[in-house]
This record gives sequence, structure tokens and C-alpha cells, in this order.
Amino acid sequence: MKDLARLRTSIKESVELALNQQIQMEMISSSKYLAMAGWCDRNGLDYSAGFFYKQSEEERNHGMKIFHYLCDQGATAYSPEVPAVSQEFDSFRSVFEAALEQEIAVTDSINRIIGICRRESDFASEELMKWYVKEQMEEEYIARRCLDLFDQIPADQIYYLDQKVSSVTYDGNVFEA
Amino acid sequence: MTSNVPATYQEVFKTDRGVVYQCDVTNRLVLEFWDTHTQLSARDFAQFRRMVETIDVRQMALSTDAAYDVEILTPPRSERCYVLTLCEIIHLRELLNGAKLMLELNTMLRECGCSLSKY
Repeated sequence: MKDLARLRTSIKESVELALNQQIQMEMISSSKYLAMAGWCDRNGLDYSAGFFYKQSEEERNHGMKIFHYLCDQGATAYSPEVPAVSQEFDSFRSVFEAALEQEIAVTDSINRIIGICRRESDFASEELMKWYVKEQMEEEYIARRCLDLFDQIPADQIYYLDQKVSSVTYDGNVFEA
Repeated sequence: MTSNVPATYQEVFKTDRGVVYQCDVTNRLVLEFWDTHTQLSARDFAQFRRMVETIDVRQMALSTDAAYDVEILTPPRSERCYVLTLCEIIHLRELLNGAKLMLELNTMLRECGCSLSKY
């Protein structure tokens, strides 16, 4: 008897489902960052607004990377439903705290998918997910470093703080050195 | 297999209410349920199974609203329309999940270099 599902795609249903959930998560992240960018813009924090606009675009690209992978492999990628996200934040700091929490949730999700890939012996999808592992190291580092700056820079120097948090980068990723 | 079933059809899974066959000539899975025959590709079969799996049967069981008495389902790329009661959904789930399990078993066997006998 032919294996019709395998003829269609090498991706198992459980991996396909997990990757589709990840697409949704990346798109939700993109939407959250866009809300953060909007909040920063409204409150005169132009540098941080620019930083979050860029982050929002990046998260969308992360989702699209998985979307294209699924399509190219013959699996089904679903355009995700993105629920309403919070548009208001208590403070400038709480925006970055929310960003870090979101990145941690994404990292946990990536790790869980790698576990599924290993269980299903799907090495191609695992390889794709490894790119996200490295990416998440960078994302978490940046979010943490931004929060450190809130402790290091006096609260009354808001213009300087806005400039500094938006310029944080991670150049020392050990996997890319 | 019943006598009026084409020779190219191989039984994948059978319950009291229906059968799922696989046709290696057309690369289609054939769902026989309540005297209906629906041919589906492997992709559409998986999608239809998920549609059936995600129906909120708890809501159907508990709600007194007439809107929850039946669920209307259209398999992908099919002109057929199923109008199913709660019991029928449970029967369909049993059939589709059983077929999924057997198809997975076939995959595992092929990965091990074995295959299910044709008949």
C-alpha cells in the first residue's frame, strides 16, 4: 500500500500542526510589537518606536520563513488568526518587560517544537528550528539588556534612555562568531 | 471488503458505520460513511479529520439551542455536505482516527522497509 501522506510531504502532521502554531505565535508577536511601537510613538519615544517597528517586521519575517518552508515541503501552511492585543502600557519600562516575556514564550515554544521534531525524526524541520534557537538567544539578550539600561540610566533622562535602548544590538552570538 | 467495491480499493479501517479505503491508482482515500462515498487526497483527508476533531462536541451535548443540534461539514474540494448529529460526529471521529492510525502504521512499516500486504 502506498504511503500517500509521505508522497505529499516529509512533514508529519504533528510537526505541521506545531509549525502552524509557531507561525501564529510569530504573527501575534509582530502584532504586539506593533502595539508597543504605536504606544512609544504616541508618547514621544521616537527611537524606541523605530526599534519596535523594526522588531514587528522581523517577527513577521520569522513567521513567513516557516510559512514558506511548509509550502515548499508540500505541507499545509495556514494564514493565522491574530487576536486583539493590548494597546496600552503602564510605563516605558513595562513595554520592555512585556517584550522580554514575549521573547521567553517564543523561546519555550521553539524548544518544544524541536522536541516534537526529534520524536518524529524530522531532521529538516529541526535544522530550521535551530536557526530560531540562535535568533532567540539574540532576541532575549537584547530585551534583557534594554531592561538593564532602565536600572542604569536615571529615570529623568528619558530622552537619553530612549536613544540608548533603541540602539542595543547583540554582536557576540557565539554560534555566529 | 464488500463485493461492489472496486478491486483497486484497499481497506484501511472499518467500523459499523463506515469504511475508509485507499486507492493506489488514483492516490485517493475514499470515505464511505452512511451510504456516501467521498474521495479525498491525503492532504484533504488530514484537513477533514482535523475539521471533525475540532468540533466542540461538549457544547453540542450541553446546549439546548437548536443551532447546536447538528454540525454542517464540507470536506475540502468536495461538493458533498455532511449534516451530522452528535452521535454521527462521534462515529465519524472513530472512523477517521482509526484510519489515521492505520495510515501511520503503514508509514512506520515502510520506514522499517516492510509493507502491508495488498490484500
